[in-house]
Amino acid sequence: MGEVLVLVDAADGSVKKVTTELLTLAQSLGEPSAVWIGPGYTDAAGATLGEFGAQKVYVADSADYINHPVAPKAEVLSKLVADQSPIAVLIGSSPEGKEVAARLAVRTNSGIITDAIGIAPDLTATQSIFGGATVVQSKVSAGTPIITVRPNSTAPVANAGAATRVDVSVELSAAAKSATITNRAAAVKGGRPELTEAAIVVSGGRGVGAAEGFGVIEDLADSLGAAVGASRAATDAGYYPHAFQVGQTGKTVSPQLYIANGISGAIQHRAGMQTSKLIVAVNKDAEAPMFELADFGVVGDLFTVVPQLTEEIKKRKG
Amino acid sequence: MKIAVCVKQVPDSWAEKKLRDGDSLLDRDSVEAVLNELDEYAIEEALQITEAQGGGEVVIVTMGPERAGEAVRKALSMGADSGIHLVDASLAGSDAAGTSYALAKLLEGRGFDLIMFGSESTDARMSVVPSMVAERLGLPQLTFANKVEVSGGTVTIDRVGDYGIETISAATPAVLGMIERSNEPRYPSFKGIMAAKKKPVETVSAADAGIDAGAVGTSGSWSQVNSFAARPPKAAGVVVQDEGAGGVAIAEFLDAQKVL
Amino acid sequence: MDVLVMIVAAIVTVIAVGLFARTVVGFVRQFKVGKSINRTDKPALRTLTLLKEVFLATRLKQKPVGPIVAVSHLIVLIAFGVLFFTLVTAYGQLINPDFALPLIGHWPAFSYLIEIMSWLMVLAILILIAVRVARRPNPQQPRKSRFFGSTMWQAYYVEFTILAIGIFVLALRAAEYARGSVQGEEFIHSNFPLTGWIGENWTGLSLETLATLILLLAFGKILVSMAWFVTVAMTPTMGVAWHRFLAFFNVWFQRNANGKPALGQLEPIRYDGVALDFEKLDDFPDDIALGVTAMTDFSWKALLDFSTCTECGRCQSQCPAWNTEKPLSPKLLTIAMRNHAHAISPWMTATEEERAHLDPALIELAEKPLVGEDGVITDDILWSCTTCGACVNQCPVDIAHIDHIVDIRRSQVLVLSEFPTELNGLFKNVENKGNPWGMNASGRNDWISEVDFDVKVFGMDGEDTIPEDIDYLFWVGCAGAYEDRAKRTTKNVAELMNIAGVSFMVLGEGETCTGDPARRAGNEFLFQMQAAQNIEVLNEIKATKIVVTCPHCLNALKREYPQLGGNYEVVHHTELLNDLVKAGRLTPVNKIDQTVTYHDPCYLGRHNQVYNPPRELISATADSFVEMDRNRDKSFCCGAGGARMWMEEKLGTRINQTRGDEAIATGAKRIAVGCPFCSVMLNDAVNTRQQEPGRALGVEVVDVSTLLLDAAKS
Ligand SMILES: Cc1cc2nc3c(=O)[nH]c(=O)nc-3n(C[C@H](O)[C@H](O)[C@H](O)COP(=O)(O)OP(=O)(O)OC[C@H]3O[C@@H](n4cnc5c(N)ncnc54)[C@H](O)[C@@H]3O)c2cc1C
Ligand code: SF4
Ligand code: SF4
Repeated sequence: MGEVLVLVDAADGSVKKVTTELLTLAQSLGEPSAVWIGPGYTDAAGATLGEFGAQKVYVADSADYINHPVAPKAEVLSKLVADQSPIAVLIGSSPEGKEVAARLAVRTNSGIITDAIGIAPDLTATQSIFGGATVVQSKVSAGTPIITVRPNSTAPVANAGAATRVDVSVELSAAAKSATITNRAAAVKGGRPELTEAAIVVSGGRGVGAAEGFGVIEDLADSLGAAVGASRAATDAGYYPHAFQVGQTGKTVSPQLYIANGISGAIQHRAGMQTSKLIVAVNKDAEAPMFELADFGVVGDLFTVVPQLTEEIKKRKG
Repeated sequence: MKIAVCVKQVPDSWAEKKLRDGDSLLDRDSVEAVLNELDEYAIEEALQITEAQGGGEVVIVTMGPERAGEAVRKALSMGADSGIHLVDASLAGSDAAGTSYALAKLLEGRGFDLIMFGSESTDARMSVVPSMVAERLGLPQLTFANKVEVSGGTVTIDRVGDYGIETISAATPAVLGMIERSNEPRYPSFKGIMAAKKKPVETVSAADAGIDAGAVGTSGSWSQVNSFAARPPKAAGVVVQDEGAGGVAIAEFLDAQKVL
Repeated sequence: MDVLVMIVAAIVTVIAVGLFARTVVGFVRQFKVGKSINRTDKPALRTLTLLKEVFLATRLKQKPVGPIVAVSHLIVLIAFGVLFFTLVTAYGQLINPDFALPLIGHWPAFSYLIEIMSWLMVLAILILIAVRVARRPNPQQPRKSRFFGSTMWQAYYVEFTILAIGIFVLALRAAEYARGSVQGEEFIHSNFPLTGWIGENWTGLSLETLATLILLLAFGKILVSMAWFVTVAMTPTMGVAWHRFLAFFNVWFQRNANGKPALGQLEPIRYDGVALDFEKLDDFPDDIALGVTAMTDFSWKALLDFSTCTECGRCQSQCPAWNTEKPLSPKLLTIAMRNHAHAISPWMTATEEERAHLDPALIELAEKPLVGEDGVITDDILWSCTTCGACVNQCPVDIAHIDHIVDIRRSQVLVLSEFPTELNGLFKNVENKGNPWGMNASGRNDWISEVDFDVKVFGMDGEDTIPEDIDYLFWVGCAGAYEDRAKRTTKNVAELMNIAGVSFMVLGEGETCTGDPARRAGNEFLFQMQAAQNIEVLNEIKATKIVVTCPHCLNALKREYPQLGGNYEVVHHTELLNDLVKAGRLTPVNKIDQTVTYHDPCYLGRHNQVYNPPRELISATADSFVEMDRNRDKSFCCGAGGARMWMEEKLGTRINQTRGDEAIATGAKRIAVGCPFCSVMLNDAVNTRQQEPGRALGVEVVDVSTLLLDAAKS
């Protein structure tokens, strides 16, 4: 059985769920090996990786590898590809994951497939493109298939592996060190992120009823590290400052997630947020047009739904 | 400062249907092609950089068929100075690897201080070409930039990384990629549109750029599409009645979507 | 003394006439700098229009004192001409106190005319002065006065000059009577019907005294008249005086030979007097000037407009922007343009070489931008206009404010790239997505799946022109396809047509924005791209009869597309539905037992003169109908026109709230509208009020078609 490399995605030393998904996929293709790049590797991390089938864990734990963006990871992986000749490399489809895959593909003269939602045993990948309108089957025809996989494509399945630690180190090229990360800041720095730049926006409308009512909106936003937005009805009524108005004559946003609370969904509002990737609506009127746009909607009073959501998120985030 | 902005012409997914000349039927084949919207942020940033420096040159670079020249003109109408259009039958059907190879060949040795990109193209949505070009040219990669500062030969960006904002700096020449909404792309003035007609656009063939025909095009692709099927349009969202657990239901949904 | 008086009078007269002539030449030279525009078609009709507007005072009848002001003004206007004879007589009287004009001087009919006119003029001018005094800006709410910002001394000066002349004429005639009486002349008995009684009091004076009196009065009259000429000659910006001469030309040269206000379609963008076709972009010179960037870019007619403004403020009193504390007043804008034009007139009329040698201060002034913080007007003034047309409709001297405002916007957008940031989104959405909100084209047919009858979409059965048996092409419009409230109207109208057996077809995804908001925002280029695309489709499929629910679509398709080769018969749904009700094809069976009021959309009413059909429809469907104070051609804009629908309203109070409150104040439960934008605007206003406890309870904003459908179905 050929070896399948899985690049570990970890934040603060803990392995991300997407990595366990990738390992699960790798089990169905061959023998999974995890690749840990950067400092902070712990036995606990190794245990998690082993739990989902990693036979080996390649550990490249010099801080050097994460002091420069993207390229070092590609160089570490590229060395492993050269040394171990895996049958495939799987990477999570985050923005950075795709970049690492891209550089790796060039370094190893390999074909790349991004945003796969499934991989068949013969390494044919399934992608959904054009915003989900079309499903495509593709296969890499040169080098080692490098496939980035969307989170949540598979349910993680435990299947114990040895998770033997194998240390690796790579002499980084000058090019890889040419860009340097001088500072890191959590997405939320000093309060909430900028409305137009935020990955998540939590908005309130006339349904919030009063300036004080925005407290529940802000609490939800803070639990998600989100920015706060408002409809024009809410800003006009003085519930929230005008600078936070989302819509045709306010700010245009297109975050990963937009949560509209007590907003009916007038076209003037939609014009400013309709390109959001995921839309959630809370409104007590089941007929509110916002529900037509929403991926998920709850018909109910925002003053019960939103605080409950905030609590639940805090709970889940631990 | 000499800046190249790589742009792509993409099918306009919202295109209005036109009537066909011959039989006046709605023409469903002709999809209008437009400048990739996300490239506009790179163009805008490039213009702002040269404006702030009180000089410099912004060159629009594209690879694509004849009509991709329209996308270059559009970019020029925003205020860029000139264009380079790599057009060659052999390039048709290139994948990301082939495209990045061709672009790297084209850009090599032209003395650009910055090679700029948008975050992705709205048709392929892979967002891999900028990294590939950086890798091929051995240049520092400054991508997913939300904010850019250029001082002397140093470029510093705020990168919107997977886990927060990273401040990254590098010396020029460098590859610089802008994210959506990092700025407000300008609406081309009519004067800009008129001026764009007179701006030079250099047409380059694959051979001119020293591109190995075997490494590009369909034959040069390192991956291939075996089959595709249109999936039914995205199902309408789920709407549930709050019966005491509405908030939890949302949390579950968000969890399933991996946004938590 | 006689000689001295004669010499002084002669000198004063020569100076006055000279100065006056010089200023007239100055006007003509300035107008000649303006860009060419053809305004001489149908000269006979134009003359007729001029006569009508002057002698029937058709443009002055604004309530409540409109008719009185109109008549008073007409009297002064005529008297001013007739009494010119008395000026000539006065010169004669300097030489000979018994001077009379040859032939007519002692002709009773002439005397009657002069005396009647003089008395009427005195009376009329006193009325006009009283009106001006009564309507002068009051310190608490100065902006409420239509004279706010008008140069009051100029108007009073003109009025008191007229009053003085009237009194001089009457006094002179009384003195003539007295002298004639003392001399025992026969003619006095038939020539002084209205001044003889005054003259009777002076018959005790000696002949010499009377001669001196006549001399002095004649001299006084001449001085007052000449002082007026000198004053106006020295003040070319004195519109209140100059309109006396310029208005005739301005009225004759107005946009429409038949005297219809310059509303509906906008003037096309011109270069060297020729309407530009953006399809021929490649032939344009590089440095082509689009719209109005500098004073010299205006047409001669625009310059004539500015100078003709009498500062009456009728436009200002109607302007929705001004009435909601925005900085824009059409009058103040016109005055600002006029004053600037005259201030830089020497520069405007100079050649390039001459300009270099002008006073540096003048050159600096000439380089002042038209728009901007340190411009002739501010950005806020320019962009506050909703193009509602209230000003154009009101102006007694036919000034075309909207054309000038849009011409300036054109240069701001096309040349200078200076415009409110919100418009960026509008332009991009229209250009890239074919609608102002950036919606997906495939959503244009969404409403069809929400109705339970068949809707024919063009091209579905492979047809390549509209089939013979289709009565109307139903132009749904962007709002009608995407905006929730307007979508309801679309479905209502489709259903009503369906019930009435009117066959119709829609274009579906073949439709794209008409370009109206782009054009009003000054983006003529984008407008023409949209229009060309639509006209190509409509002509290709041989569309002839079109029904629309949006007055902005109506205006574009019906009034503007002919400029680019698209000629269709276009009706608004209220017109069509009203015809169907009248023809018995739709029967309101159950009248709505509520009071309804109706808001006239500017682009349906003022711009397209559709006032009655919606009212008739409402009367046919509802128990009672009440008008708002401002209705029909004086309807108050909802605030959405002129692309304001896509701009934030940050200044003053909201126009839609002002209008909404007016509608709520009628006590009507339903506020009917006939425009998707008015609907959004008024609905927002009502919603806002309904947040206040007990206010606007149960009030609903509905399209007229909803009323009819409710009544026809139940
Ligand atoms: C020129 C112009 C520009 C505009 N620009 C913008 C713009 O940029 N952005 C914008 O947002 N709007 C804009 N609008 C206003 C727009 O037309 C709508 O009026 C506005 O979006 C409505 O805001 P809303 O949804 O908060 O209020 P509403 O439409 O009043 O909706 C309130 C919603 O809250 C729900 N609700 C009430 N109480 C509760 C509760 N306790 N729990 C849950 N739900 C509740 C109600 O069911 C209702 O659906 C513009 C309008 C105009 C005319
Ligand atoms: S068109 Fe309407 S808003 Fe514009 S200046 Fe005239 S009255 Fe005012
Ligand atoms: S523009 Fe017309 S209506 Fe307005 S003040 Fe001047 S003359 Fe009067």
